Amino acid sequence: MKTFSKLSFRAFAAAGAVFALTQAPVRADAEESYNLAMLSDFSGPYADIMPILAGGREAVVDWWNDTRGKELGVVLNYKNFETRYDAAQVASLWPGIKSELNPIAVLGLGGPDVAALGERLPEDKIPMFMATAGYGFSWKTDSWIFNPRPTYSHESSGFLMHLREKLGRDGPVKVAIMASEASPAYVDMARGLEQFAKENPNFVEIIETVYTEVQPTDLTAQMRRVVKAKADAVIIQTNTSIVVATKRALQANGSDIPIMMSSHNGLPASGKAAGGLAQLEGDYESYGMAIAIEGDTEPYKFYQLLSEKYDLKAPWNVVTAMGMAQGAYAVTVIDHAIVSNGAAGLTGETVREALFAAPITSEETHGMLPTLKFTPEAPFPLEGLKVNVASVIDGKITIEATDVDVPNVTKW
Amino acid sequence: MDPSGIFSTSYRKDRQLVRTKWQVLALLAFLALLFLAPAYASPRIIAIGNVMLISAIVAVGLQICTGYAGQINMGQAAFMGVGAYTAGLLASKYQMSFILTIPLAGLSAAGFGFLFGLTAARIKGFYLALTTIAAQFIFHFTVLNLPSSWMGGSNGVTVPAATFFGIRIATENSQYYLILIYAIILIAGAFGIVRSRFGRAFIAVRDDDVAAGIMGINVARTKATAFLIGAFYAGVGGALWAYMIRFVGVDQFTLFNSIFFIAMIIVGGMGSITGALIGVFIIRMIQEIIATVGPNIAEAVPFLGGDIVFSSMNMFLGGVIALFMIVEPKGLMHRWNIIKSSYRIWPFPY
Repeated sequence: MKTFSKLSFRAFAAAGAVFALTQAPVRADAEESYNLAMLSDFSGPYADIMPILAGGREAVVDWWNDTRGKELGVVLNYKNFETRYDAAQVASLWPGIKSELNPIAVLGLGGPDVAALGERLPEDKIPMFMATAGYGFSWKTDSWIFNPRPTYSHESSGFLMHLREKLGRDGPVKVAIMASEASPAYVDMARGLEQFAKENPNFVEIIETVYTEVQPTDLTAQMRRVVKAKADAVIIQTNTSIVVATKRALQANGSDIPIMMSSHNGLPASGKAAGGLAQLEGDYESYGMAIAIEGDTEPYKFYQLLSEKYDLKAPWNVVTAMGMAQGAYAVTVIDHAIVSNGAAGLTGETVREALFAAPITSEETHGMLPTLKFTPEAPFPLEGLKVNVASVIDGKITIEATDVDVPNVTKW
Repeated sequence: MDPSGIFSTSYRKDRQLVRTKWQVLALLAFLALLFLAPAYASPRIIAIGNVMLISAIVAVGLQICTGYAGQINMGQAAFMGVGAYTAGLLASKYQMSFILTIPLAGLSAAGFGFLFGLTAARIKGFYLALTTIAAQFIFHFTVLNLPSSWMGGSNGVTVPAATFFGIRIATENSQYYLILIYAIILIAGAFGIVRSRFGRAFIAVRDDDVAAGIMGINVARTKATAFLIGAFYAGVGGALWAYMIRFVGVDQFTLFNSIFFIAMIIVGGMGSITGALIGVFIIRMIQEIIATVGPNIAEAVPFLGGDIVFSSMNMFLGGVIALFMIVEPKGLMHRWNIIKSSYRIWPFPY
């Protein structure tokens, strides 16, 4: 009798356990863990914005671990590596990162990372996800380095198409480009837009590309030429110093020709450097990413969630948005890779395959980015490109247009 | 100064670089340690070694030009860039072997350096420093403004991996051996150059160019030769860099890099090949320690934040260099020589 009772109890307990297991939500029992390497510049030229950008991308990974990661049974660990924005430092760090961390993806920062790892990553089969727009010089097929945004020239041409429509022009809009030979990246930005203007003379006319120092003191003479030529806009995607010097020069010439800026030298940063946003009244910023203004928008709600629950201390601005966007599309691609291949045995190669396999929808990145469809043709999406445009109205940053179509820009 | 009881009994012995059996043993052990490094060191250490060895070649070239011949050179990174572009273009456009591209890179950089050496015949000191800074800008603007089909322009140059009898030299270890062999040849060559007729002429011109001229040394030619040799070393270093990174861009060879090379020879000690090597080791090690320890400190003490940790580490690097300048402006080799001679003559004061 005693034996029978014991057996009955065991059978009952086993049946109960099976029932409980079958009724429980579907989730992986064994937790898989993967590593992400984050390349950072806390002590070089981007030291002032790095904590904000890093905070944004780290908070997104924490959020993913706590939500989707738990559902999928995957934890993404991350570690920052200081590169000082120096290709030599990246080159000496990389073998150690690879052997000790064995990352499934790298979250990169800028040009030195691309220069040092561009030829290594395809051999090591680890993809790198950047935060910035792309460049003409990195526009190569079968890349392992990816940008969520097209090139800066795509972004400026998208803005100019918007401006042309806004001004109701049948002919081209006249623009001046401010560039600097101090950095090949700045030259690249100008060359791409020049090519677009050359191929689309009915849309854009380049009055002049003004090459200046990275920290110019006076651009009055250059801007006099631009004002005389009756430019409709000045395109500046370089840095805040050139924006401030150009603004001062335009003011000295009694002109209010609007300036278009990018994300890294956008309205908040340039406004701060110029002595307040009021100085940039009527000016624009435009890029293929969410514009960081407070309001009833998905990106802002996502930011608030990260601030409240995931210890994001960075203020809501364009740099935080860049970090969040970078983190968001990186974890989404990894998410896709897990859904396609399972949680176990994820590699850099499967992550890269997942990037091409399915689009990263805007909903998945909480509206931080438009829907991205990557192909092996380029390191950034080439179709369905959109930019957002913001301007300063009454001293406040206001969204002027969202999802502006970017025209076709050919490789230069 | 030789150890007590060591006397040269022939001219050949007097010329020897390695003078005692212990020095021979130490050198052999050191070389064995270097050649066997991939067997015991991690890939990270080997990668650091690669960057250090390339820096050592470039810094030794600068030491010959500045430390021995006294010609201030703030364009060493530009000379390195000329070498890197030469090797990169020859390898990518003409599929030339590294056996040819590396010496040709050295020669093209030497030619570029020689032009600045000619100016050194007329000017010196502060003016020469400014002229060599111009080398940086001439290199930079030339690359960016020539048609991109020539030198890549803002696109840079993608360099194929070096191959040797079908073996791709693309891993840290294979690159390490390639760089190590060139480093040994060039550093050994540097020891020979500074003890040769040229080296003695360099020192004479450095110490007093007027007196050197009176003694029959062709001062203009000596200065130009110093630049030529220094730039050759930089060019070879640049070519090795191109094969290591496999991408060459103009922003990899900036004035900032040139200043770091000068800092290396100052910390190690001007006028000493070993000093240049020590300077490279110290500066690069501090940089690597910062890069390695920084993330761990930031992780262990999260309330400090990465920004404070990393910027403090950079200040530490600057502080170390400043400390060297204050405590031992003649460099570590000078301090080492004082310690060594004090030990050898002990208990006598001199």
